[in-house]
Amino acid sequence: MILSGTFTFRGPRALVWQLLQDPEVLVKVMPGAQRLSRIADGRYQGVMKVGLGPVTAAEFALDVTLGDLAPPERFTMVIDSKGTLGFARGTANVALDEEGPDRTAMHYTSELQIGGRIASVGQRVVESAAKAMTARGLQALQQAIDDRLAPSAGSTSS
Amino acid sequence: MTASVGKRVPRNEDARLLTGRALFVDDVQLPGMLHAAFLRSDHAHGRLRAVDASTARGRPGVVAVFTADDLGDYWRPAPLLVPPPPVPGMVFNQCTQVPLARDKVRHVGEPIAMVVAENRYVAEDALADIVVDVDPLDAVVDLERALALGAARVHEHLDSNVAARVHQQRGDYAAARAAADVVITRRFWYDRGASAAIENRVVAATWDPRAEQLTIWDTTQAPIPIRNGLARMLGLAESQVQVIAPFVGGGFGPKIMMFYPEELLVPWAARRLGCAVKWTEDRHENFVATTQERGQLHDAEIAVTRDGRILGVRDVFLHDTGAYDPYGLTVPINSQCTLLGVYKVPAYDSTFTAVFTTKPIVTPVRGAGRQHGVFVMERLLDLAARELGLDRVEIRRRNLIPPDAFPYDQGIIFQDFTSLTYDSGDYAPALERAAELIGYEQFVREEQPRLRAEGKHVGLGIVNYVEGTGIGPYEGARVTVEPSGLVRVATGVGTQGQGHFTAFAQIVADVLAVEVAAVRVVTGDTREFHWGTGTFASRGAVVAGTACRAAAVAVRQKILDAGARRLNVAADTLELSNGRVFVTGRAGDPGVPYGELAVHANPLRGAVTAGVEPGLEATAYFGPDRGSTANGVHAMIVEVDRDTLLVRIARYVVVHDCGRLVNPTIVEGQIQGGVAHGIGNAFYEQLVFDEQGQLLTASLMDYLLPVATDVPDVEIVHRETPAPGNPAGLKGVGEAGCIATGAAFAQAIEDAFGGAVEIREIPLSPNRLFELLHAAAPPAPEVS
Amino acid sequence: MKPAPFEYFRPSTLDEALATMAAHAGEAKALAGGQSLVPAMNFRIAQPSVLVDLNGIPGLDGIESATGGLRIGALTRHRTLERSAEVREAAPLVADTMPLVAHVPIRTRGTLGGSLAHADPAAELPAVMLALDADIEVCSQSGQRTIPAGEFFTGLYATALAPDELITAVTIPRRNSAAWAVDEVARRHGDFALAGVASVVRLEITGAVAGARIALFGVHERAVLADAAAKAIVGQVPTAEAIEAAADTAASQDADPASDVHASSAFRRHLTRVLVRRVLTRAVARARGAE
Repeated sequence: MILSGTFTFRGPRALVWQLLQDPEVLVKVMPGAQRLSRIADGRYQGVMKVGLGPVTAAEFALDVTLGDLAPPERFTMVIDSKGTLGFARGTANVALDEEGPDRTAMHYTSELQIGGRIASVGQRVVESAAKAMTARGLQALQQAIDDRLAPSAGSTSS
Repeated sequence: MTASVGKRVPRNEDARLLTGRALFVDDVQLPGMLHAAFLRSDHAHGRLRAVDASTARGRPGVVAVFTADDLGDYWRPAPLLVPPPPVPGMVFNQCTQVPLARDKVRHVGEPIAMVVAENRYVAEDALADIVVDVDPLDAVVDLERALALGAARVHEHLDSNVAARVHQQRGDYAAARAAADVVITRRFWYDRGASAAIENRVVAATWDPRAEQLTIWDTTQAPIPIRNGLARMLGLAESQVQVIAPFVGGGFGPKIMMFYPEELLVPWAARRLGCAVKWTEDRHENFVATTQERGQLHDAEIAVTRDGRILGVRDVFLHDTGAYDPYGLTVPINSQCTLLGVYKVPAYDSTFTAVFTTKPIVTPVRGAGRQHGVFVMERLLDLAARELGLDRVEIRRRNLIPPDAFPYDQGIIFQDFTSLTYDSGDYAPALERAAELIGYEQFVREEQPRLRAEGKHVGLGIVNYVEGTGIGPYEGARVTVEPSGLVRVATGVGTQGQGHFTAFAQIVADVLAVEVAAVRVVTGDTREFHWGTGTFASRGAVVAGTACRAAAVAVRQKILDAGARRLNVAADTLELSNGRVFVTGRAGDPGVPYGELAVHANPLRGAVTAGVEPGLEATAYFGPDRGSTANGVHAMIVEVDRDTLLVRIARYVVVHDCGRLVNPTIVEGQIQGGVAHGIGNAFYEQLVFDEQGQLLTASLMDYLLPVATDVPDVEIVHRETPAPGNPAGLKGVGEAGCIATGAAFAQAIEDAFGGAVEIREIPLSPNRLFELLHAAAPPAPEVS
Repeated sequence: MKPAPFEYFRPSTLDEALATMAAHAGEAKALAGGQSLVPAMNFRIAQPSVLVDLNGIPGLDGIESATGGLRIGALTRHRTLERSAEVREAAPLVADTMPLVAHVPIRTRGTLGGSLAHADPAAELPAVMLALDADIEVCSQSGQRTIPAGEFFTGLYATALAPDELITAVTIPRRNSAAWAVDEVARRHGDFALAGVASVVRLEITGAVAGARIALFGVHERAVLADAAAKAIVGQVPTAEAIEAAADTAASQDADPASDVHASSAFRRHLTRVLVRRVLTRAVARARGAE
C-alpha cells in the first residue's frame, strides 16, 4: 500500500523537526500509541493499540528506525510493527519544506506492507484506515505544535 | 419390474440430509474430546527462527502445544500422491508439504504450531500466546518474476523455482505455421479460485488402547489411501486403523488432497494424548489451509487456413503450483490435454513450466485444469474467426472430430499415464443442438442488431469442451442380500453430495430386480470396504458404479443357483422379480423371497455343498484401462449494463453427452451446480494475492460466491453416446458444468461489446471491464 | 473463528445500560443486532472486554409520530421498518432503501441505531439519514442530547458518539413536496455497495430545484452529502444537462473513494456519476408527479 501526501503545519520548520524526533511527543500524536521509548540513537520501540470502529485494541509491538537524517529537511523511517492481528512493515520518506517562518509543508511517501488477519479480512478498509490514522496523527501533531507555541495562553486539550 | 437406471428416482439419502439426521464429521462428539487449533504463518516467505509456546502451554484449559521439534521422527515431508506421467524429457522436482513448519515458512497459512485444548475458544486464545520469530524473505508471487534470475527461491536446495517442465508434441508445428494463411498469437491468463465447499475440512480421531484401534473421521474424498498412509506413518497395521468419511458437504477436489498437516497431526495427537481430538476448519482458515487451483499464463498460437481449418496449435504456459507439489502434474497435464478439445489438430506443440510460488498449494479443483485448456482453444478459435470473417460456430463445425474416427488417439500422454485417447463421441449434433436451442442464427441476424440499436449490450457465447472421465486404476464393491431381504452395497469411494447412495442403488436394484429403496449403500468407510482409491476426476459412477454392477451380477447368479437348489429346478427356468425368485410361467406362484434364500445359504448345522460360498454375497472390481470421454457445448446470452458493467445472464444452455444416464435428476444437479461454479469462477470469485503473497480475500465478504439470483436455470439437453469401456456405457459428469463457462463468458462479453474490447483473461468483474474499456491501449492481462 | 473472552451484561433498563457503559467507558461495546459486531468479534478483529446487550431493554424500539416528525426507536429492527406502513407513508425513502440492506435474515436482527453507530462507509442508512436531515437522539449517564445527522458521521467508522453514549432514537422530519430516490451498485444483491446515492429533492413551483440533499455512500470514508453537486443544481431547472453536470461534480469533487479489490477509485467515481444521474432523474420525475 502506498500512502503519500502533503500536510501543511502552522509552525516553524525547526520546531516541526524537533517534535518529530521526540518520542514523548510522538507517543501522544501517533494514534493508539501507548509507549514509545528511544532505545538507541534513532531507534524507538513501543506499543500501539489501534482502535478504529469495530477494531478494538489491536495491539502491535512497534519498532521504528530513523535514517538518512538531514536535519531539518528530511529523514526516512523504517517501520516494523507486529501483533496477533498481523503486521505492518515499510519505509516512509519525510521531507519538510520551509514555506514561511510559520509554515512548514511536510511531504511524505510511504510504502507499507500489511499482512496477517487485518490484511486478509480488512482489505476493504485498510487503505482508508491508514489514511484516517495518518490524518489523525498529523492533526494531533499540529495540536502539539500549537501547545508548544502558546503554552501560556492555556492550551486546549484535543 | 421396470428398470430404474435412466429414471428420475428420488434420492435415498435426502430424507436424512433434510431432517438433520445425517452425520457430518463435526457432529462427532466423543467423551473427553479435545479441540485443536493451528497457528498459521502470517508471512508468505520467511526464515522461521524461533517458536515460543511456553506461555500458551501455561494457559488454563490448554492440554498441549506442539511444534515441529515436538514431532520427532514423525516430522517428515508428506508422500508424493501422484507421480508425474512418463513423458520423455520431463523435469520434475518433488517438494511436498510438512506437518509443521521448520526453518522456513512458504505460504500464508502454513501451519507452525498446533494447540490442543478443552475447547476451540481456549485453543484460539492460546494461539495469541505463541510468539513466532520470522525473518521475512521476498515473496514469490508473479510467475514470470519467479523464473527470473535472482528471484527468491521457495526451495533453496533447487537452483530455481521450476517445479516441473513438460513438453509434448504431435506432428510438425513449424511446418503448420509456415503453411498457414493466418496465425493468431495471444497471451491468456486464467485465474481460478477456491473450491468453497459448504463444509470445510474436519478431522476427528480417537485411539482405543484396549482394542488397539485408531478411528478417524475425516471429510476426505479418499478414506482408503488415508487409512493406508496413516497406518504406515503411525507404525500401525492397516487393520488397526479405520477411516470414516460419513456425509461430506461437498468435495470438489481439495478434499482428495491427502496428508494435509491436520490429517497427519490430529490422529497423532489423539494417540499421544490418549484423548479424542477434533479439528474443525473455519472458513477463514479454509482460504489458506485447504488447497485451491491457481493461475496459468499461456502464450498460445493457432495456425489456420483461409477457410478456418486448424493446421496446428502451439502453447507455452506457466502453471502456478503453489509452495509444494504433492499432487504432481495432474492439473497442468489436464490443461495440456484438454486444450485439443473436440477438434482435429494435426500439429500440436505444448510446453509447460510448473512454478513454485509462496502461495497455498495447488491441487485439482472441479475441472482440474481442463478449463484453462478450453479457454485458450476456444478464444483462439474466436479470434481466428474474427480475423477470417468467419462465423464462430462455422469455424468450430469445420474442425470437429468426425463420429467415425473413434477411438481417437491424440498422440500425447494424459493424467492417467496412458496415451490420450477419446473412446467415443459425436460432436457435430451436440453443437447444432446447442446453437438451435440458444437461437444462434436468430440472435446474430435479428435480435442482437435490434437490441444494439436500442443501446443495449447483449452478447452470445457458444463453446465446446471435452472431459476425460472414468479413469482407473480401479474401484470395488461388495453386494450382500441380508436375511431381511434388504440389499447392502459397500464400496470404497466416498460421497460428497453426488448421490451415490441412489445411483449405485439404482444400478444394483435393476440387476437384482428389487426396489431402489430396498438397496442400502455404504460409501467412504474403511470398516465396510477397504480396497480402492477415491472420488475424483468424475469417475465415481463409471468405475465404482461398474464394480457395483459386476458384484450385483455375481449375486444375481447366486440367487438363481440358491433358488434352483431350493425349488429343485434348473436355474435357467427361474426369473427374478420384486425381490423373489419364480419359476417362469407358473401363474400364482408366490416365489421365494431372497431373504429366505440368504438364511438357507448360511446354515448353523449340516453340510454345505463344496465350492459354494455362504450367503448371497459377492465382491467385484472394475479397472478400466482408459477413461471415457464426455463432451458438451455451453451457450449463453448475457446483457451488460453499459453504465454499471453488471452482467445479467439471460439464458444458459448446456448440451452434454455423458453416455448413459443413471439418474437424470442427479446428472442435472451436477450440471446446474457445475454451471454455478463456473459462473462464480468467471465473474465473481477471485483469490487476490498482493505482492507480498498476502491473501486479501480470505472471507466470504470479499471472496464472492454467486447467490441464487446470480445463477440462471440451466436448460439442459442430454445426449447419450455410450462408452464402450464399461457394460452400462457410463461416462462421468461431475465437472462438466464448470469446464466451459469461462470460455463462454469471455466470448459472450466480447460479443456484447461488439469487438471494442478483447477478453484474454478470467475472472472478469465490472471493475475489470471498466479498466479494459477505458484503457488507452489494451492492458496486459492481470497476473497475480 | 471464535471470539476472545468478554464480560457480558444484559441490563433490563436504559439507566442500567448507561451506567454500565459509563463504568466501562472505552472498553465496552453495545450489542444491538450484532450483525456487524459479532462477525468482527468472531474474526477477533474486535475484542471488546465488555459487551452490553441492549436487547432486553423495553421501550427502545417502536415507530411513532412525534411533533418533529417520525420518531424511530434505536432498537427498531430493519425488517420492522421495511414492513411499516407508517414509514412507507412518512419516510418513503427509508421504505425504498430497506430492501437494499443486506438480506432478510440479517434485517430481522439488525437495528437502525446499530447501523448508525457502526457507521460503515458503505452502509445505506447513514446516508439516508443525511439525505433526510434526521436528528439522532443520544443518551449517557450525564444526560441527553440531539445530534443532527450532518454532524453525526465524522470519519471512518467514527461518529460523534462519546464512548459512554448510546443512540436511543432517530427523528425523521416530515417534509412536504419532497421527492426521493435511492440506488446503489453492488456485486450481488445484499453486498456492501460499491457506490450508492440517496437523495431528497424539492422543486419550486417554477420548476427549479429549491433544495437537494444528495447523500453518497461507499465512495468516501463516511456517508457524505454531495455539497458541491447540490450547489451546482439548486436554483437550476433540472434538465438532463443540469443533472449530468451535477453528477459530474459529485463524482469529481464530492466523492473521495478509496480503491480495494472490488473496485478502483476511478470506477467508484464513474459509478457515482452514473448513480447521481439516475437518482436525481428519478427524484425529479417523482417531484413532477410523473411517478
